[in-house]
Order: sequence, then structure tokens, then C-alpha cells
Amino acid sequence: MKIEYQTGTLTLSDIGPLNAANSSTFREEARAALREGVTNVNIDLSQTRQVDSSGLGALIALQKTVGARGGAIRILRPTPIVYQILELTRLHRVFEIVRD
Amino acid sequence: MNYTLICPTAVPAVPALSRQRPLVLAPFLGRTVLEHALAGLAANGAKVVRLLAEDRLPEIQAVVGAGQAWGLQVVFLSPREGAEILSREVPPGESVMTLDHLPQAPERPLWDSYQGWYEAQLALLPAFAAQRVGMREVTPGVFADLRSQIAGDASLVAPCWIGSGVFVGSQAVVGPGSIIEDGSYLDSGAEIVQSIVGPQTYVGSVTEIRGSFAWGSELLHLESGSLAQVTDRFLLSEMRVRSGFAAGLAGIIRGIGNRGTAPDALANPPGLARAGGRFLL
Repeated sequence: MKIEYQTGTLTLSDIGPLNAANSSTFREEARAALREGVTNVNIDLSQTRQVDSSGLGALIALQKTVGARGGAIRILRPTPIVYQILELTRLHRVFEIVRD
Repeated sequence: MNYTLICPTAVPAVPALSRQRPLVLAPFLGRTVLEHALAGLAANGAKVVRLLAEDRLPEIQAVVGAGQAWGLQVVFLSPREGAEILSREVPPGESVMTLDHLPQAPERPLWDSYQGWYEAQLALLPAFAAQRVGMREVTPGVFADLRSQIAGDASLVAPCWIGSGVFVGSQAVVGPGSIIEDGSYLDSGAEIVQSIVGPQTYVGSVTEIRGSFAWGSELLHLESGSLAQVTDRFLLSEMRVRSGFAAGLAGIIRGIGNRGTAPDALANPPGLARAGGRFLL
């Protein structure tokens, strides 16, 4: 996973599948990357072609953590398959999503 | 009039429709495309239909049989016989047709796109509902089978079709433009808009299906053709079909106070028991 910082915003990209096998790793790495001063998080899902409830749970947990700091997370460029799962679970109404 | 009906195997524009079953057995308003086609040919006066089908032929034969259901004599052609018929001039009193449209709606191509396949169903929905035994129009444009069970606080928005054995849970929303095929289960709060839910499909609580075809664990976006495989059974999955003995045993176990696991609850959901087999509208 690629981690970048820019004036209070953390951007996570090159994220593979977000499923039961690796969502814990994603959650831990993302939390570790939340330095002081980071309020918003961009999650680039353009390389993610599989997501399940564990992966969605990791995104929601991160949303809660960032929300407690007064920030928000944005999902960037989700693949069509990921967007379908976000829509199925109605999370497209919870997260700010930038499709292109 | 005798017909030779050519069944396409796979069509590049709609590959997902032939993943689970042969293309001509794709669900279409309570039946398969092929069954509707045979009904249409019978209504046009056909007596003998020669079928040229190659993809998963035994599955097609199991659905069609010898054609008695439509008062037809259906004969399956071998590829050699099919090639012979196609190479000669069509004699008077015979017709050759490719199953890329239904006889009931020749102006509507079925396989040009997923959206076209969906729109053909919407266009034929009132006519096919009128012909189907057990289907009734509960409010204008809302058709539900008598053997479906619909929670009193569910919303049905025209046009929509709710097939036989379908359960629509509390506060679910169906429509506009939605087709729920036979034996499917929409859990409470599920919302199905401009979509098709295929046969025997469980749609989880508070999910939203929009502009899509959901069948088993597959979710196909009708416009883009994107196909997502849903791995969480509580969101979208195929309903388990169990043997009579297993289902009976599970019923006995539930009867003595064990509510069972989630899959058991799906096989005989608590809502169905409360409904007592009544139509709840």
C-alpha cells in the first residue's frame, strides 16, 4: 500500500483486495499512518477489485477514527465492482465517493 | 407452420447471461426465454418446432421435453441435421428463426445489451402477467403472484412483477421497474429499483439493488456490464434448495424450539411462519 501526506490529508493507494484475508493488515497500516495533524483521508480504490464485509468494516472503522478527529474519508476512483458492493450495502450514501 | 428455431450459444454483448445456464434459458418474467418463445410459436399456429441448440443441450432438453406443455412437437436437431436444414431453401409452410427476439415482440432484440434484455421484459410485463395463472394486478401496474407473500408495510411501485413463492419483507421497496423472479426472498428493508432479481435468490436486509440483475451471488450492472461476485451470503446469495427429508428434519428441529442458524432461517424464514401462507397485501 502506498502512503502519501499532503497538508493534513493522508492518501492511501495501491490497495489490493479488501477482504477477510487482508482487511486487518489494511486497518493496522492505515491506523499507523494516521499521524498527528492528519484530519482527512483519501482512499484510492482504483486498484481494488474485490471487497467483502471485512473490508467494508475496515473502511467504516477508519471513518469512525477520522470522524473523531473532526475529519472525513473520501473514496477515490472505486472500480465498478467495488462501487457495486458499496451501492449494495448503501455505503455509497455514507462515504464521499469521487468516481473520476 | 413448422419452425426451425436456432438457439444462440453465447452472445458477446451479454456474456453474463450464459454463465449460469444456456443463454436461451435466461430468466424472463417467470419462465425462460425459450419457454416464452415456444409459447409464442404455439400461439402463432406452430405444430412442430425443430430446435438447434448446442450449449448445454441436456439442460435445454430438461426444460423443453418433447414440447407437450405448449401442445407442440419439439424435435432436437443434431448439428449435422441443422446444417442441412440451413443450407437448403426454406420450403413453403416452414420458417427458420433465430432466438434473438421473442415471437411476441419481434421489434425488441433480446441480446443486443443487458439493458435491452431488461427493457424487453418491462415492455412485455403486462401482457405476460395477464397470461400467467395465479398472477394478479394488485394495484395498477403492480403484478404479484397469489403464492407470493408480501409484508403489509412493504412498498410496491409500478411497474413491477413479483413471482411465485417470493417473500417480500417488512419495509422492503420493490420498483419502479423491478422484476422479482420465482422463489426469491427479499429481506426486510431491501430496496430493488429498476432491477431484476433472478430465481431463488436471497437479497439481504437493508441492501439496495439499482439498475442491476442479481442472481445467486452475482450482481450484474445492466448498463456497464460490470459483474460483481458477492462473497457475503447475508448480502446476496443463492437460496439453498434442500431435499424434502432435510427440510422436514429442519422443520421438526425448529418445532421443538431450536431456531437454527441463518441458512436454516432462510430455508423457512420466521416471516413466512407468521404469514401463515396468507397473502399479506
